[in-house]
Amino acid sequence: MGPFLEVLIGGLLTGVLYSLVALGFVLIFKASGVFNFAQGAMVLFAALSLVRFLEVMPLWAALLGSAALMVALAVVIERVVLRPLVNQEPIILFMSTLGITFFIDGFGQSLFGSDVYPLDVGIPKDPIFIAENTFEGGLLVDQVDLWAAVVAGLLVLVLALFFQRTRIGRALRAVADDHQAAQSVGIPLNQIWVIVWSVAGLVALVAGIMWGTKLGVQFSIALVALKALPVLILGGLTSVPGAIVGGLLIGAGEKLAEVYFGPIIGGGIENWFAYMLALAILLFRPQGLFGERIIERV
Amino acid sequence: MQNGKVIGGPLLVADSISLAFGGVKALSNISLEIREHEILAIIGPNGAGKTSMLNVINGFYHPQEGTITFKGETRRRMRPHHAAEQGIARTFQNVALFKGMSTLDNIMTGRLLKMKRSLWWQPIWWGPAEREEIEHREFVERIIDFLEIQAIRKTPVGRLPYGLQKRVELGRALAMEPDLLLLDEPMAGMNVEEKEDMCRFILDVNDEFGTTIALIEHDMGVVMDISDRVVVLDYGRKIGDGPPDEVRRDPEVIKAYLGEAH
Repeated sequence: MGPFLEVLIGGLLTGVLYSLVALGFVLIFKASGVFNFAQGAMVLFAALSLVRFLEVMPLWAALLGSAALMVALAVVIERVVLRPLVNQEPIILFMSTLGITFFIDGFGQSLFGSDVYPLDVGIPKDPIFIAENTFEGGLLVDQVDLWAAVVAGLLVLVLALFFQRTRIGRALRAVADDHQAAQSVGIPLNQIWVIVWSVAGLVALVAGIMWGTKLGVQFSIALVALKALPVLILGGLTSVPGAIVGGLLIGAGEKLAEVYFGPIIGGGIENWFAYMLALAILLFRPQGLFGERIIERV
Repeated sequence: MQNGKVIGGPLLVADSISLAFGGVKALSNISLEIREHEILAIIGPNGAGKTSMLNVINGFYHPQEGTITFKGETRRRMRPHHAAEQGIARTFQNVALFKGMSTLDNIMTGRLLKMKRSLWWQPIWWGPAEREEIEHREFVERIIDFLEIQAIRKTPVGRLPYGLQKRVELGRALAMEPDLLLLDEPMAGMNVEEKEDMCRFILDVNDEFGTTIALIEHDMGVVMDISDRVVVLDYGRKIGDGPPDEVRRDPEVIKAYLGEAH
C-alpha cells in the first residue's frame, strides 16, 4: 500500500502543476473563446522576468515587478493583437496567439537571457517524509509540490469566486459567445480582454514560480504547456474545476501507469500516457468531463 | 398616430455622415434625425447602407465624416458599450444571441449595465448582491411575460426556432431599458403569425414605455402599418424622408425600391 500511495500522491501533486498551466488556458478560453497557445510562453516569460528581477531587488519588489510586467503584456496584446481582430473567427485569433507565442519566447529570452537560472523564492526544496507511523519508512513527498497544491487551491478559490459569482462571470460568457452582441449590451470588450489576459498572466507567473523552482527557469518550461493540452481535453476547455480535476487525473494516471504498466511494455509510458488518455476522451466525450456542451441547431 | 401619442423633438441627429470601406462608399453625406417616441423605418434595397447606418449610430463603425448627436451630446467616434450606457440598444439582422445560455440568462445580460454597484458583494451572495439579483430577475420576468416566452425560459437559445430567437433578442434589448431601440430586420424570416406578434410587441413597447424605435424592414405592409416616418436609402444616399403615405408616392422612391404595379 505504501509504494502505491507514494506514487499516487507524487502523481497528484505533479498534476497540480499541470493544472496551474491549464488554468491560464481555461480563463482566456472562457472569456474570449480564444485558445491561447501563448500560455506556455507566458509562463516562461513571467518566470524569466522574476528570476532576473530577483538579482537586483528583494522578493516582494520582484514579484510586484513581474506582476506589473504581465499586466503590461496583457494591455499590449489587447491593443496590438486583439483589438484589430475583434469579430473575427476563433481560428484567426488562435493563429494570432501562435504569433504571440513566438514573439514572447524570443523577446523574453533576448531581454532576460536564455541561460538556465535557478529560482529560489524561499520554497523549501527538500523532499520530506510524511505518515511515517502508518507506513514503514513513510511516504516521500516533494515539498515544492505540496506548496504548489496549496497555492493552486487558493488560486482556484479566488478565481471561482471572481468569475462564477460576479456579474463579470456572466459578461465573460457573453463575450466568449458573441463579440458584437456583448458590445451591444454594453460590455466593454477591450477592458474585459485586458482583465482576463492580466489574470491569465498572473496565473502564468504563479505557474512559472512553481515550475521554475522545480526545474530551474529555462526554455523547457514553455513546453510544459504541451502537457496542459491533455489536461484541458480531459477537464473541458471551459471549466476551472475541470482544469484542476483534469490535472490531477493526468498526473496520477501517468505516474501509476509508468510504475505499474511500464515494466510490462518496456517503460517510458509517462511521456505519452496523457495524450493517449486525451485521445480516448475526445472519442467518447469531446466536451471533456466538465466542459459546456456546444449546442448547435442544424 | 391614432392613439394620440406625442412625437417630441429630435432624440438623435446624424449630420452629414459619410462612411467608406477602402474604396467602397457605404454611406455618403447622410443626415437624418430620430425623434422622441416615434417609430422610424429605414428602408431601401439590399446594400443601400441601412445596417451600416445602424452600426454608425451604435458605434460599431466610425464614420470618416459627420457627427452624431444623441440626447444633446455630439460625438464623432463612439464605442459600442458607451452607446449602450447612454441608452441605445439594438438587435441584429442575423440574430446575435449567446447561444450556449438559456433565454433567461440571455435577457439577464441586458441588465449587466444596471448591476454596477455591488460587484464586490456578489461573491458573498448575501445581502445587497442577492437583493440586486432578485430585483433584476423580477424585471426580466416581466419582459418574459410581455413577450410571451415563459415556456422557453430555461431553454438554451441555440435550440430555439428562428422566430423565437428574434423574440429573445428583442427581450435582451428591452432589458436594457433603452431610450432608443434599433431593430435590424426584426421580422426577417418569420411567418405571418410571427410577424403579427412582433408588430404588436414593437407597437406596445413604443406605446407603453415611450421607447423611440428605429427599425430596418423589407416588408412594406409592416413598414406602412407601424411606422410614423420612413427614411429611404439607396446606394448610400438618402432619397426619401417623410410620413409613410408621402414616401409611398415619391417617384424616386418608387423607382429605386418600391417598384410600380404593371
